[in-house]
Amino acid sequence: MTLQVIANGLIAGCVYALVALGFGLIYKTTRILHFAHGAVYTAAAYALYFFLISISFPVFISIVLALIIGTLLGISTETFLYYPLHRKKAPYAISFIASMGIYLFLVNLIAMLFGNEVKIIQPGLEKTYQFAGIILTRTQIIETIVFVVVFLVFYIFMKKSGLGRLIRALSNNPELATVLGMNIRKTRLLVFGLGSLLASISGLLVALDIGIDPNIGFSAVFVCAVAVIIGGIDIFEGAVLGAFLLGLIQNITIWKLSARWQEAITFGILILFLLLRPQGILSYKKRMEEIS
Amino acid sequence: MMTYILHLLVMISIYLILAFSLNLLVGYTGLLSVAQAGFYGIGAYISTLFVMKLGINFFIALPISIILAMCLSLLVSVPSIRLKGDYFILATLGFQAVIYGVLYNWVSLTRGPYGIPGIPRPNFFGIEFGNIPSYFILSGILAFLVFLIFRQMVLSPFGRTLKAIREDEMAALGLGKNITKFKIISFAISAGIAAIAGALYAGYITYIDPTSFSIYESIFILSMIIIGGTGNIKGPVVGVFLVIIVPEALRFLGLPDSIAANARQMIYGLLLVILMYFRPQGIAGEYKFE
Repeated sequence: MTLQVIANGLIAGCVYALVALGFGLIYKTTRILHFAHGAVYTAAAYALYFFLISISFPVFISIVLALIIGTLLGISTETFLYYPLHRKKAPYAISFIASMGIYLFLVNLIAMLFGNEVKIIQPGLEKTYQFAGIILTRTQIIETIVFVVVFLVFYIFMKKSGLGRLIRALSNNPELATVLGMNIRKTRLLVFGLGSLLASISGLLVALDIGIDPNIGFSAVFVCAVAVIIGGIDIFEGAVLGAFLLGLIQNITIWKLSARWQEAITFGILILFLLLRPQGILSYKKRMEEIS
Repeated sequence: MMTYILHLLVMISIYLILAFSLNLLVGYTGLLSVAQAGFYGIGAYISTLFVMKLGINFFIALPISIILAMCLSLLVSVPSIRLKGDYFILATLGFQAVIYGVLYNWVSLTRGPYGIPGIPRPNFFGIEFGNIPSYFILSGILAFLVFLIFRQMVLSPFGRTLKAIREDEMAALGLGKNITKFKIISFAISAGIAAIAGALYAGYITYIDPTSFSIYESIFILSMIIIGGTGNIKGPVVGVFLVIIVPEALRFLGLPDSIAANARQMIYGLLLVILMYFRPQGIAGEYKFE
């Protein structure tokens, strides 16, 4: 039983980690609390539902189209909202509120188009596999594989490629990056594209696993914000660590208490971290005043 | 029709109280909090529990719930006040989730998701505020009192100090103001005022459950005052009237209820984006979130 809970927790962590990587990347480079990340996640999941179920396109094409839609949505929030605000030197609160506005707009648009009820993409019982006493469904195995592949590609991209280096430079010191003549605009677009692609992948996995309703993005984006903070914001691997920790803790909560305590426990952990170690686990020590 | 208008007026006075309370925090102290519905809920639950479990009169339970909400606010403000910007938003969000979780899961006290039905209407030494017109008098008087207190507060040296902290924390510190103390007091007053709204809401609807005090409600209150504008007295008033009355017009357009709710939220979302881009101080506000 314990092993099963740990396995479920780690798999939940895989899905969170994808959203958290994108959220953390965007937050670190642009300092925007990108609330609308949740809308991108939801939109991608609904796009998959639309192509696959409503107009029955083939699976592969539906997935590609859904990912493209999610990514384009993320890029357009940057082009039409955040970048203009950035040029006006808007403070953090304004971009946060605007982001909240975009979230409300998009999610309610989706709810109007598709209805507020839960939609299931894969009906019926799933095929399960057993490894050493742990039972995994087919979707859970897909989730794990997708996470490992995506994370490896992302890691190599960030560490080895020139573009990845550019992103890390911008997130490390925006002023210096500007002075050195880097193309800030393109780098930000790249960050939003990449982050939204990751969120869309995660949205599709969740849609396949447990189905979708218009509000799934809300808790996803906040759990991931918590993951980014407790994992440590300075390096992007922190978000993955935080996501795995939260996945484990949430599954242990479900096992020992009940599913209804999940959110309170998640945010309780956030508060503890903000009090005791606001820089997160994988980070160097800072004074509280230096943070954010 | 008259009852319907009076019902809207009662809701407006409850939201006016909430808007004033959050305005003190967001508009005057510059602390963007998304935990206001938590204190609204604390006020509603504490006053209801005192009235129903201990049989105390509403008008005695009301000050008790205000004081308890102010004390509970210390749990939120003391740890989070030193955090800046986004981290403060996230911390208040965390507390909002924790308060909601407790209201939802402490079934033996709050009946959790089943809610508390049959809350008695307030009774003032024999005068019962049982029907909607008399309830409007009660809520109107309370909203007016809150307005008077709020106005006195923001025009006083206390209010000016809060504004100074909002504009330039370092300068306020340099002038010898204890900014942490002022922020904590402002947070407590804001929580206390929100508790009044909660008690009024519980006595009016006569049924409460945790879903009325969720994070969505916090965001709703926040968008209300941001649309109207913060940092002065008229901004939140404009916001409340606009956000409560305009959607009622949608009802007369004959949209089905399920779509109308979504359409309303879409309008709020769009308004927030447009205002942040063109007019960050809101329609009639003063503070531009700088």
